[in-house]
Amino acid sequence: MNRPTVPAGLDLVRARAIVLDSVEAWFTLQPGERPVPGEGEPVVRGSALAERLREARTEVGGGPGNSEGQPGAWWSGTRARGRGANHTAEGELLFRSGGQWRIATGEPSEPLEAPFDGVVSEVRPGAGIRVRTALRGLAAADALGGPSSGRLHIVATRDGRVRTSEIDVGSAGAILVAGSSIDAESITRARAVGVRGIIVAALGVKERREVLASERRARAGVHGLPPFAVLVLDGAISRPIATPIMAVLEAIEGRTVAIVSEPACLVFDDAGLELPSVAPDLVRVTAGPLAGVEGTWGGPAGPFRFSGGVIAEAGWVRFGGREPVAVPLGDLERFV
Amino acid sequence: MTRAPRTLAIIDTGGATTSVALVARIDRRWRLLGSMDGPTEIPVPALLGAVAERVRAADADLAAWPELQEGALDAIPLLTARSRPPGLVLVLGASRRTVGDLEAEARQTGWRVATASTETHDPREMTALGLDPTVDLVLIGISDPPGPDERAALDDLAALGGALIHRRSDLRIMTSAAIRSRRAWVDSLGDADTESGRVIDVPPGTGRRGERDALRRALDDLRQDPEDGRIGMRAVIGTLAELLDLRIELLEVGFDGGARLVAEPGLAGAEPVVRGVITSAGALVPPEPGDETVDEVLAWTTGSLDRHRMSDRLRDLRRRPWVDATGDGSRLRMAAASAALTRLAALTPELGAGSPPDLTIIAGGAFAGAPAHAVAMAVADTIRRTGSTQLARDHARLLGPIGTIEDAGERRSLLADLVHDALVPLGSLAIVGGAGGIRPGGRKRAGRAARLTLTMEGDVQLRDLAAGELTFVDLAPGTRAEAQLDFHDGVRFGRRTKRASVQVTGGLAGLVVDLRDVPLYLPERRDRRRSRLAEWAAQAWPRDDR
Repeated sequence: MNRPTVPAGLDLVRARAIVLDSVEAWFTLQPGERPVPGEGEPVVRGSALAERLREARTEVGGGPGNSEGQPGAWWSGTRARGRGANHTAEGELLFRSGGQWRIATGEPSEPLEAPFDGVVSEVRPGAGIRVRTALRGLAAADALGGPSSGRLHIVATRDGRVRTSEIDVGSAGAILVAGSSIDAESITRARAVGVRGIIVAALGVKERREVLASERRARAGVHGLPPFAVLVLDGAISRPIATPIMAVLEAIEGRTVAIVSEPACLVFDDAGLELPSVAPDLVRVTAGPLAGVEGTWGGPAGPFRFSGGVIAEAGWVRFGGREPVAVPLGDLERFV
Repeated sequence: MTRAPRTLAIIDTGGATTSVALVARIDRRWRLLGSMDGPTEIPVPALLGAVAERVRAADADLAAWPELQEGALDAIPLLTARSRPPGLVLVLGASRRTVGDLEAEARQTGWRVATASTETHDPREMTALGLDPTVDLVLIGISDPPGPDERAALDDLAALGGALIHRRSDLRIMTSAAIRSRRAWVDSLGDADTESGRVIDVPPGTGRRGERDALRRALDDLRQDPEDGRIGMRAVIGTLAELLDLRIELLEVGFDGGARLVAEPGLAGAEPVVRGVITSAGALVPPEPGDETVDEVLAWTTGSLDRHRMSDRLRDLRRRPWVDATGDGSRLRMAAASAALTRLAALTPELGAGSPPDLTIIAGGAFAGAPAHAVAMAVADTIRRTGSTQLARDHARLLGPIGTIEDAGERRSLLADLVHDALVPLGSLAIVGGAGGIRPGGRKRAGRAARLTLTMEGDVQLRDLAAGELTFVDLAPGTRAEAQLDFHDGVRFGRRTKRASVQVTGGLAGLVVDLRDVPLYLPERRDRRRSRLAEWAAQAWPRDDR
């Protein structure tokens, strides 16, 4: 039970890790989507991780003979019976019932591309593929869509918002840092002009649904759209991007980065770069009327009565040059 | 010669927060010295150090104990409980009817449930669900004997089950011999290992020969974990019922699940009887709060949040449930807790019948820090049963860890010492049915419905009670009183009566007399409903300036 050295009482405040030293990302596949590299093989950014399907379906019939073939194996051959008899078919063997294989197949779509360089550490046909990289990751709360990669570009301040008109074709291929929150219209426009991703502090449920619907449409389209992802740093309710996180984003602006969803993070290469350090007594309020405001730790305040008659453990926080204010410990976070 | 330890740290690590309590043996009895909780990321030594520091500051004698010095806290023995995340069970069947039956049973367990049937999903979709790494168990159920709507799909189900076992070495499958005996199952399995307990026999849950609770018990058995505090609640509540010789109900709402358990002391030296459920449906907010959850919580809110905004707040509450526990956030949390209690009540109609328990214990992180009046009102709103009960809260989260003590004698001994420190009295709750309330059309019945005569230590208080209202009467913790209720008309108070007399005890919320409808009637219109809830909430949140 070694206690880390932090200012008195600050170890009672939740520590939020900003940067992950390495990333092992999981890319979900559906049955019928064929992994390209095998376990242990290296991949580079842009190389195919898997062949994706559009309009995936189950075919009955075909498949290997009686004692051959195993569930999960890939099969290609000629259908022996049915409407497509004698036509070439391929897909993933699901199971054999009533003497006939059920095969997951569909129309080939855009391949799933590796968003960063790495090594394939696990392949589970029909379920997913895991890629390990020594690149670093900026941890986030959630990521929608993707994976995606592009050049990082900051278009809004940490507490600002980006207007729809500010997103144009000049941003095509970039991943944009869009400030505290973004509306559905701006997301739609960003995708339409070829932006590869958005990084935002908060994303409401309405906008979340819009992104997911857009992702479904993109997958279903005959001409697939380029990959697009939204990285949500904090949660659903709007608040500014935390200063230490913004400092990292500013430090890596212009570099090629990637958004992955499992774990939700921004993968970046920090070669030749010293990431900004964080003051050990910096704390940030994560909820309530002061949500997003940052200050310096002033020590534990003990049980404190707050509005609504709620008694909660609190800490003193100094905002600017003002007198310290008691804030519930649960509403605070510090950065490591 | 070594001395028996005289300090003990009781640690309950839940899905979101950890509670650390420090207890010490003083005058040959274990006493609670203090407790503190925080997000699970906070190291236990930090919480324990903070509690010990307060103890040293508060009591000069204890400050001199060598065990409580800063450098010696590592040596304090620990009694720990943890809450294991609920696994995800995928229920597969050959018909929607069967899947629905199995799902209803599975929802009364600690498992989260996903479903698919051959009527609604094609083989590729069902395979995709089964290969999802978050699925821990696949339950393939068929009626016994299979219904006419199931027979055609039995081979597909058997082949799918065998294929999933073949493809996922970390997956367990619960299914019946009727599935496992099919050739499609054997062919799909190939060389997969089925000897290591991965294939589990499912008790017949539906059909003519179905035994109602067998599946539930089997699923619960798969989640047995001697260190799980929520599972330990079943043991501790039984011990408590035996110890106090009372009928006790436990209502627990946590991050990943909740519990509603009723324990009765055994007759003539028999073991206590514990009934009820430990279920993931009792979680404060489910992992992906959908429209249904939003509606459930909106039904208990008095604010003017729209659906999108409420959805945003519930997502954030799920992600970081320890934040925003004051001000408006505490009201949202209690609305979510009320929704969870409503789900628990809906899952356990058999526990809602009959007379109320002597003691109702409220537990779980959802209620941490909430005002006592608001907690009492949440119980009154959701667990509607005429009669009176005493309310108490497991404020230091001691019950779960004590419940993990395997030896019944040791558990009883520690609980006997700590019971009065572990349970903070909230007061007494008396619910009266048929005393009036809102009539259809939204109008309230006017006039006095009852008179309360409260007698304590020779002092008599009289109070008129209005129909359809909730009344809080100050009654200090530890105070015993006799409450006599004289009703204008006949009412239901355990039985049909015009006069009732009950012994009540005080607490932080005092005596709560509830003359609202049983079950609670609330207007359908959102604005009227909010207005009614706000009237009652004004008493429970007295210092709120909204």
